[in-house]
Amino acid sequence: MVSDSVPAALIPSAANTKNLGKKKRTNRSAKLKQNKIEARREQWLSQGSVKSKGCKDVIDSDGHELPLSSGNHGKRPLEQLETRHRVEEDDGLIHQHSDSESPANSPTGNDSGTNFTGSSGSSSGSSSSRSSSSYSSAGCCSGNITEEDDDEEEEGGGEEEGDDGCLDDWEAVADALAANDKRQNPCSDSPPSHGDESVVQMASSNCEDPNRGPNSGSRNLKPESANLVPWTGNCRAWRADDAFRPQSLPNLSKQHSLPISDRRCGGGVLWSRSAMPSSCPICCEDLDLTDTSFLPCLCGFRLCLFCHKRILEEDARCPGCRKPYECEAVVETEPSVLGGSLTLRLAR
Amino acid sequence: MKTSSGGAGGGRPSSSSAPTYSWAPTTSVSASGKRIHREMVELNNDPPPHCSAGPKGDNLYHWIATIIGPPGTAYQGGIFFLDIIFPSDYPFNPPQVVFKTRIYHCNVGTDGHVSLGMLKDGWSPALTITKVLTAIRSLLTNPDPYNAVVPGIAHLYLENKAKHDLVAGEWTARFAK
Repeated sequence: MVSDSVPAALIPSAANTKNLGKKKRTNRSAKLKQNKIEARREQWLSQGSVKSKGCKDVIDSDGHELPLSSGNHGKRPLEQLETRHRVEEDDGLIHQHSDSESPANSPTGNDSGTNFTGSSGSSSGSSSSRSSSSYSSAGCCSGNITEEDDDEEEEGGGEEEGDDGCLDDWEAVADALAANDKRQNPCSDSPPSHGDESVVQMASSNCEDPNRGPNSGSRNLKPESANLVPWTGNCRAWRADDAFRPQSLPNLSKQHSLPISDRRCGGGVLWSRSAMPSSCPICCEDLDLTDTSFLPCLCGFRLCLFCHKRILEEDARCPGCRKPYECEAVVETEPSVLGGSLTLRLAR
Repeated sequence: MKTSSGGAGGGRPSSSSAPTYSWAPTTSVSASGKRIHREMVELNNDPPPHCSAGPKGDNLYHWIATIIGPPGTAYQGGIFFLDIIFPSDYPFNPPQVVFKTRIYHCNVGTDGHVSLGMLKDGWSPALTITKVLTAIRSLLTNPDPYNAVVPGIAHLYLENKAKHDLVAGEWTARFAK
């Protein structure tokens, strides 16, 4: 129900069909993310009232970069709206449909909106329903979270408060924490940097501009982690995988960077698993698929087709059991099929 | 300059004049080379007892092997050297094994050729030099007088094994130590 409705809502709003597929994949985890984000927001709201400083700073940073400045101004009310929507979330599917179109209005809204909804899934409907202005606000919130040290603690509290607390949420929190650490200490980086980037994107998914900030920072880290190629190529691809992020990111990068070796290893493993000789015992050449499926003798002695043919031309005995191959029919049929030249050879 | 161009020119015409002839052997040689190389590696990793073998020099197709006379036989304590010559189509045709050390044995010709079914009609491409050496060593332990290449020795072996062993021991002491 939920998962179906979300993509349906997204299709009209999101210009990118690519994102849709990714969204579908990541819906579950995205929901969790969204829960986390919401929890953060609550925390942030509570803290935001206390900490006016940090909020302002964040707003400023976002405000500079964001083309959708209107959203920033409306932060407070929007957040309140968010809380309301959260209450409405149960009904929220409808809201999603109606509201999700609004992000399309803003130029950057497409990207940020799609990302956000995609990452957040059904529960994100509430956030998406907050309207375009709520985007920026949400972005700011998330941006704050990722950027502020205190937010980590807040997140933990928020999780508990939000009753979202499944194990998955905890994973998400852990990831977010790692991400925060990363960002704060860009120098200390490389392995967690994957998670960092992804988390940052997830958290700040609403605003592209905040993404740029962290991206630029994280790109410095990327070359070390060898994610550079996929990253620069398409951020969204990674964003879609962000749901799985820490595990999947490095794996993918490995596959891209070392495809040949992986394949080789895999093939070797397969061969060894099947207890097949990896190479022809006669000529020591590697057996290909045809050869491995070729069982010329009942004794089970395998050899490559070339050697088999050669032996047929000579004594036609199985090297393993020394019994003559029962391939006379084959030998006989060959000349008729292939014509006179072969018959001549066989005659010799 | 001239020599290099001449060499290249000389090489190409020869191949072009008889392309099938010159290429077919080379391909088979490379295939047999791979097989021989693998046998060499395996033999080095897991040598058969009291045997050793390896290429004589740079030529992968010419090996030299040693077999230590099995204890409890007339050949005990002897070290017998053998030449192994692989044919270019090696796995499909048996290697040629020749005793370079003189040995009094009914299955070893006066020229050193070993009469062993495995090296003739009994050859199988699945056999390896390791198995050949093991078979030859077992032949030292148990001669096969009924398929002998030296009838006199076979006769003596069948009629008077003690004398046969005595002579064999003398030969071993004289030639193989």
